[in-house]
Amino acid sequence: MSAPLEKDGQEDGQKGGTVGAAVTASPTTASSTTASSTTASATAAPILAFDDVRVDYRGRSSTVSAVAGVSLELRAGETFGLVGESGCGKTTLSMAVMGLLPDRAQVSGEIRFRGEDLVTMPAGRRRRLRGDDVSMVFQDPATSLDATFPIGEQVAETIRAHRSVSRREARDRALQLLAEVGIPDPAARYSDPPHRLSGGMRQRVVIAAALANDPDLLLADEPTTALDVTIQAQILDLLAQLKQRHGMTMLLITHDLGVVAQICDRVGVMYAGQLVEVAPVDQLFAAPRHPYTRALLQALPSRAQRSGRLAVVEGQVPDLSEPPSGCRFKERCPHRMPVCDTTPAATPAGAGSVACWLETVDRATNVELAEQVGGAA
Amino acid sequence: MIALEPVTVTSRRRRIPMPRWGGREGMAGWIILGVLVLVALLAPVLAPHSTEAIDGSRIFGAPDWSHPFGSDDLGRDVFSRVLYAYRASLSIAIGSVLLAMAVGIPIGLIAGYAGGWTDLVLMRAVDLLLAFPALLLAISLIAILGPGGLVALLAIAIIYVPIMARVVRSSVLVVRNQPYVLGARARGASHWAIVRGHVLPNAIGPALVQASVLMAFAIIIEAALSFLGLGAQPPTPELGLMLAEGNNYLTQAPWVEIFPGLAIALSVLAFNLIGDGLRRSFDPGQLAR
Repeated sequence: MSAPLEKDGQEDGQKGGTVGAAVTASPTTASSTTASSTTASATAAPILAFDDVRVDYRGRSSTVSAVAGVSLELRAGETFGLVGESGCGKTTLSMAVMGLLPDRAQVSGEIRFRGEDLVTMPAGRRRRLRGDDVSMVFQDPATSLDATFPIGEQVAETIRAHRSVSRREARDRALQLLAEVGIPDPAARYSDPPHRLSGGMRQRVVIAAALANDPDLLLADEPTTALDVTIQAQILDLLAQLKQRHGMTMLLITHDLGVVAQICDRVGVMYAGQLVEVAPVDQLFAAPRHPYTRALLQALPSRAQRSGRLAVVEGQVPDLSEPPSGCRFKERCPHRMPVCDTTPAATPAGAGSVACWLETVDRATNVELAEQVGGAA
Repeated sequence: MIALEPVTVTSRRRRIPMPRWGGREGMAGWIILGVLVLVALLAPVLAPHSTEAIDGSRIFGAPDWSHPFGSDDLGRDVFSRVLYAYRASLSIAIGSVLLAMAVGIPIGLIAGYAGGWTDLVLMRAVDLLLAFPALLLAISLIAILGPGGLVALLAIAIIYVPIMARVVRSSVLVVRNQPYVLGARARGASHWAIVRGHVLPNAIGPALVQASVLMAFAIIIEAALSFLGLGAQPPTPELGLMLAEGNNYLTQAPWVEIFPGLAIALSVLAFNLIGDGLRRSFDPGQLAR
């Protein structure tokens, strides 16, 4: 599987023996699609790979560890959903890909786009990549368009930033894109300022600008959160369609599991800066393995269970300026064990992977193992 | 049966109040300014007398039909002199502010957008200028270069550069963190394109408001410099200079003093009206509508 999150050498020996058991014992819902995508990942080079990515925001008095050692590979052509609650680091991760983090953010590890490390890439080359090979759609279309700029020009701007085309050609291409994302009568709307358009229409303009140069990778950061529900569905449909037509890979960031179920192939679940579980969509919903994923799914209101109180995840998100050692979910976890003070490595589970000691540690041997780890540390 | 009244479409016209120009208030200012500029330009046509024609029979002559503002201590026509004086005053006021904008806005833009060391170095240099009292700065410059209209313009511009730079920088600091700037960066726009296309148009509002207020002050500073004998030199007709001369005869011939004073007040009023109007139009609440 993908690169495991290995922190401490001493964990390896323990893991080796138990991984196989965990995989065979897991009630995998490995359908044909997940099986094929697993094999594909083994052969095709990933379009985007995170390797032990950490992002720290340095403040005056404290440093906030927003992303703590995320390793992940996106396969060319897939739609990958990154879910997690607010502040779990999913937006920070996407901004790290774009290179748009504020100066006080410190990125370590590697983010490889088509094999090239973005973190160490010179700023000029990185800018040329943005909006060309890698594009982004932001959450709030009301503020991500410039109110003093005609909408069509904002699309044309993206083209002219990367291609030496005439004003006229850029305009023609922008009109074509506006039509493609479903703006009615684009020629008439081209010179409109953003406030003449509805929220959904504005988001379509943002998407048109993101697609202007046929990117290979599209990052969509909560593209539907600021929109009302009926428009949400339309925008998701549009994104899925465009992704197909342009053969893009899409990283969709959301806190909405419904959105994930609707259009994603695989899902990564983040908690407090750590990637706790990665799985194909159907596996994640059918057989969530990480306790946090399970808690999240239980908190979803379901049609079958209309009455009664909604389940909640007990406790609070940890303070990321003083994150707990080891697994960051341990304080809210019903299965907390002594070994959880050490960061769990990502372990293959079904067609995905899980970063939880439950996967590798047999409860019976837990105490013994904890002693070993504690003794070594 | 029922006669339908024709629907009036006034509401439609009302919806375009030219917000960028300052609405009704600003319009009044623009009109006054327009008239004053026209007067200055057409002074040779409008002036009934020569500005330097000395008329011994009309020393301290009271206002009458052919000399609406009266005559001064040398019997020169005050009305004609005021018309010509607007040329000097307005060109110094507008010229100095334009010069200050040309220098100050780029400084503010670069400092605010780049941040970090660039910001620190540029702003400390600006603070240095700001630390001098305005008039003292102007007077020392005049002491070096000698008095004259152009020197006054330059001196006022130097006083205004730090003010302009600060105003622009502070609005750039707000604008550069707006999501649309991030969006433009995400689309791969270069820093130059972002500054020119997104930051400047969104940050220029407060600077324009400031510019109109500064123009009003420029007229006053320039008048003060001339009053002190450091601006335009006699016999050039100049508002501050006329005030200085008229000052001595205030009790015998108040018109020598009052009309140039009113002329200054009128031009200051025009700039202030424009400034207030612009301020209101750039108010976020107004833009949202």
